[in-house]
Amino acid sequence: MRFFIDNLEVLFPYPRIYPEQYDYMCDLKRTLDMDGGKAVLEMPSGTGKTVTLLSLIVAYIQQNPAKRKLIYCSRTMSEIEKALAELKALMKYRKQELGYEEEFRGLGLTSRKNLCLNSSVKREKSGAIVDARCRALTAGFVKEKKERGEDVDLCIYHENLDPLEPDNLIPNGIWTLDDLLQYGEQHKQCPYFTARRMMPFCNVIIYSYHYLLDPKIAERVSKDFPKDCIVVFDEAHNIDNVCIESLSIDITEDSLRRATRGANNLERRIEEMKSTDAEKLQNEYQKLVEGLREAEEAREEDAFIANPVLPDDLLSEAVPGNIRRAEHFVSFLKRFIEYLKTRMKVLHVISETPVSFLAHLRELTFIERKPLRFCAERLTSLIRTLELTSIEDLHPLQEVATFATLVATYDKGFVLILEPFETDTATVPNPIFHFACLDAAIAIKPVFDRFGSVIITSGTISPLDMYPRMLDFNALVQESYPMTLARKSFLPLIVTRGSDQGTLSSSFQIRNDPSVVRNYGDLLVEFCRLTPDGVVVFFPSYLYMESIVSMWQGMGILDSIWKHKLILVETPDAQETALALEAFRSACNNGRGAVLLSVARGKVSEGIDFDHNYGRTVICIGVPFQYTESRILKARLEFLRETYRIRENDFLSFDAMRHAAQCLGRVLRGKDDYGVMVLADRRFQKKRAQLPKWINQALLDSETNLSVDQAVSQAKHFLKNMAKPFPPEFQYGISTWSLEDLKAYQAKLEEEEIRMLEGEVGPEAVGPNRVVDEFDDIDEEALMALDP
Amino acid sequence: MSRTALHNDVPERIHPEDGDEECPICHSKRYLRRDMRFLINPECYHRMCESCIDRIFSHGPAPCPVAGCGKTLRRHRFRAPTFQDLQLEREVDIRKRVSQVFNKQEDDFDTLLDYNNYLNDVEDITHNLIHNIEVDAMEQRLREYEAANRQAITENSKRSNQGMRDEKRRLASEKEQARLRQQSAASEAQAYKAERDAARRNVISQLATGRGDADTIARRGQTVLKKSKALREQYERRPEPVDTGFQVKGLKKTVKAGPVNPYDPFDGLTAKHEYGIVHDNYRWQPLEQAKKDRRIMAGGYDIDEYCSRMLTDLYVGFGVFVGEDEDVATAGAGMAAMTDTVMTDVS
Repeated sequence: MRFFIDNLEVLFPYPRIYPEQYDYMCDLKRTLDMDGGKAVLEMPSGTGKTVTLLSLIVAYIQQNPAKRKLIYCSRTMSEIEKALAELKALMKYRKQELGYEEEFRGLGLTSRKNLCLNSSVKREKSGAIVDARCRALTAGFVKEKKERGEDVDLCIYHENLDPLEPDNLIPNGIWTLDDLLQYGEQHKQCPYFTARRMMPFCNVIIYSYHYLLDPKIAERVSKDFPKDCIVVFDEAHNIDNVCIESLSIDITEDSLRRATRGANNLERRIEEMKSTDAEKLQNEYQKLVEGLREAEEAREEDAFIANPVLPDDLLSEAVPGNIRRAEHFVSFLKRFIEYLKTRMKVLHVISETPVSFLAHLRELTFIERKPLRFCAERLTSLIRTLELTSIEDLHPLQEVATFATLVATYDKGFVLILEPFETDTATVPNPIFHFACLDAAIAIKPVFDRFGSVIITSGTISPLDMYPRMLDFNALVQESYPMTLARKSFLPLIVTRGSDQGTLSSSFQIRNDPSVVRNYGDLLVEFCRLTPDGVVVFFPSYLYMESIVSMWQGMGILDSIWKHKLILVETPDAQETALALEAFRSACNNGRGAVLLSVARGKVSEGIDFDHNYGRTVICIGVPFQYTESRILKARLEFLRETYRIRENDFLSFDAMRHAAQCLGRVLRGKDDYGVMVLADRRFQKKRAQLPKWINQALLDSETNLSVDQAVSQAKHFLKNMAKPFPPEFQYGISTWSLEDLKAYQAKLEEEEIRMLEGEVGPEAVGPNRVVDEFDDIDEEALMALDP
Repeated sequence: MSRTALHNDVPERIHPEDGDEECPICHSKRYLRRDMRFLINPECYHRMCESCIDRIFSHGPAPCPVAGCGKTLRRHRFRAPTFQDLQLEREVDIRKRVSQVFNKQEDDFDTLLDYNNYLNDVEDITHNLIHNIEVDAMEQRLREYEAANRQAITENSKRSNQGMRDEKRRLASEKEQARLRQQSAASEAQAYKAERDAARRNVISQLATGRGDADTIARRGQTVLKKSKALREQYERRPEPVDTGFQVKGLKKTVKAGPVNPYDPFDGLTAKHEYGIVHDNYRWQPLEQAKKDRRIMAGGYDIDEYCSRMLTDLYVGFGVFVGEDEDVATAGAGMAAMTDTVMTDVS
């Protein structure tokens, strides 16, 4: 389907388009037109967000002579692959429509582990080891050694890249990860480095958030992108946590021990090198006298160790004199590690700011702030000089160095927390030193500063204004789209009372009351009885799930569930969960039906889709609040209050609701899908406004304060209606538009605009409201037609 | 500045790793005596238990009992080690000593390169001292430098002490500020809640008494609630409180610029009397006459104007500031003396 938005011709690879997709495109285009535009867009899950994004942006790129680059970031591997596949289909469609193949390259990037072809390296299971072994075979100096005639191994796949044209390692087109692997195998060239090296010449790059947000990786992978790139963060509802995690470091006693070992190894190597090749060390020393940047020269793709983000002026500054010499630096590191070890001995909880940490450090060990800041860079340089290939054992040392740099660079937005005991009741200390980032804006700031257009989008990103506040940016466009439906295909319910009118709540005071637990049990039994196929249940935490399930066992509730459904449980172990999911799927497919008990912040709630028969009902038992006793969370809440003026309760409730919305979104993965969404807690009633617009809009006032039996009767009625066949034609013109519908809509809009300019009609005549009205009348008609 | 850690001053719970520590002298173990303390002497850094130290050194200096050491130790120099690694303990002691002597700061140097070279040299000396390389030569250098730069050293140490005190004060004030902010936020939240509850109770009680229309009462209650909600939103938009305790860190010390002079339309020209002081009235006959003279007392003029003009006429070429250069004036610079006499005569 080809159509115009203003004067931009969009080629959309499907014959029909959803109204919200069109609106989304319009807003997207508006954002792109404004230089430096940032947007937060929420579009219901299962309405083809990815393809909408891609088709508009590709059209935009191709029409504009500037040829801006698209950086599309997603969260998981499967999402990246899906996006690549969509892009490939889109380009195929464009070729078919336009009649010629465009000059357009798109690549996906993932870790070495997923893209390696070298038979000996590929076997390794851990990603870190694959990285290390790969570096040992591909680093620049290894090659130099080979040229000097030394006996070292090189990776043949990597070597084969060198004779190729550097800007044409792979033909024009879109390459999914599988395509890349296949092409690499055929031409015996390394897919990982092909992708890495081709990145500057690509029009579209699809990879994980971390390549852009984690400053340690971003510095190397994403440094050379031009300023006018279009950056898209998809599935971005958790983006603040990704930012925070990328700058937080946990140090344990074990990692310190290994860091000491690493430092000793370094020392030994320095001694060796002094006796054999003192010139090299002297060269490094000379370079460091001049400045760090010169010493680094171009940070190449084979750089050994990642560096946390540093201000540019610091990088061009010379390394402080007291860590210039290799042996001085190693003793400096050792001193720092010993200091940390001493700190670990303390047996009570400590929470302090980086400033007070530095003051204490200086008092005890005479380590100044400035050399500490250079720690990570200096270590990188040293390791390169020493030409170390096996750097697995240096990993903890690198972590300590990164920690040193971060703690000395940032005064604000970080906190150091030492927890000597794992739990409050433990007697054997197992100290962990958390260096926790509290400010999500720090990691994402470089992205906002550098790139003109940044689009943050997800299925559930309400309330929209929270993100600009937390991430500290101004959103030019903030939009949440409703879902247009030809029939009401999902039924959100808020259940607040049991059949006995007792309160349903997971709040701490009453969560273990037998009556509350029984009411929850009744709710589950009832829904298991009436729902066909799959039911998914989300609990706020593993702990609560365990206690409630064991109480249900005692009450005989599990037995009655058992009559209707197979019971499967998510555990923290990924493999066990994968097994449970497989069993769940096969039980749903063969008609036995199953119920999956899972946790709102677990793996299931984030990445697994329960489309069609896999999820007909989702029940959210209790509001999924975070564990508020966590010290890191407390520190973060305080920070948010002090810096961004976000109240503790506001943030906690926002965070709980975004997870709840994420759980609810699991069952509805498209317009032909249907399902019941049950929010079972009294407290949901007040938090209703924080749900995404598309859920909230379908939630009638009469359905927000139900008891279990009322909810059951509503759901029964709903499911009965849904079970009737619903041919796609009923959706035409309402929730899916053909080209004519679209043109009619555009014409209508134009007319409205003209009339508005003439001052006859207020602006509110246009807008999302239209959808709701239409669907109410036509829904009835369509359904009546079905009735015999 | 105490070397005991700021934070770990709670020794009651003993780290289990230390449980099997053994005194090398009496071979008693921490396992049996929980309150055992191990001390070291910065002379040789051998660790031994407190009771052994009491036993051996209570009668004055004695050789270290560790086999092969034999250094003479004094009891008052024993102290608890800060670090588990005694090598580091020694290193830190050396560093402390070196840093007391080499205490220059970045501002003392013209270029960063010089400073870095200085740091490098200092680190070389420290490193050699720590690893016992050419100790004598290094000690010699240390002593020479100290002797040569005694004055600068004391100045610098004074400065850095001052800096550290400032830092501490700032930290404390920042903490206090944070606490106050937290308190105010908590009390605000509480006040909001109380207000809301009171409004609700009020509506209920009004409804219960049964006077007035139920709808209007409920509506009025709603508006009260809304008002408090608006208050709450106002909080979010409220500008950042001004932190009085805030100081910018990491700035270079700058020379304090003097206050900018106000604009002077006469470009420095003043109507001040530089050469004498005009008194309010002079007892002098011609002046009485002048007071009657219409040429002098014409409109816009007065007698003071006349006097000052007369005096200016008189002294204008002298270039002597009577008010400021009292010494010069009295020390017999002829003209000035004459001025004085004239002045006395006049008054």
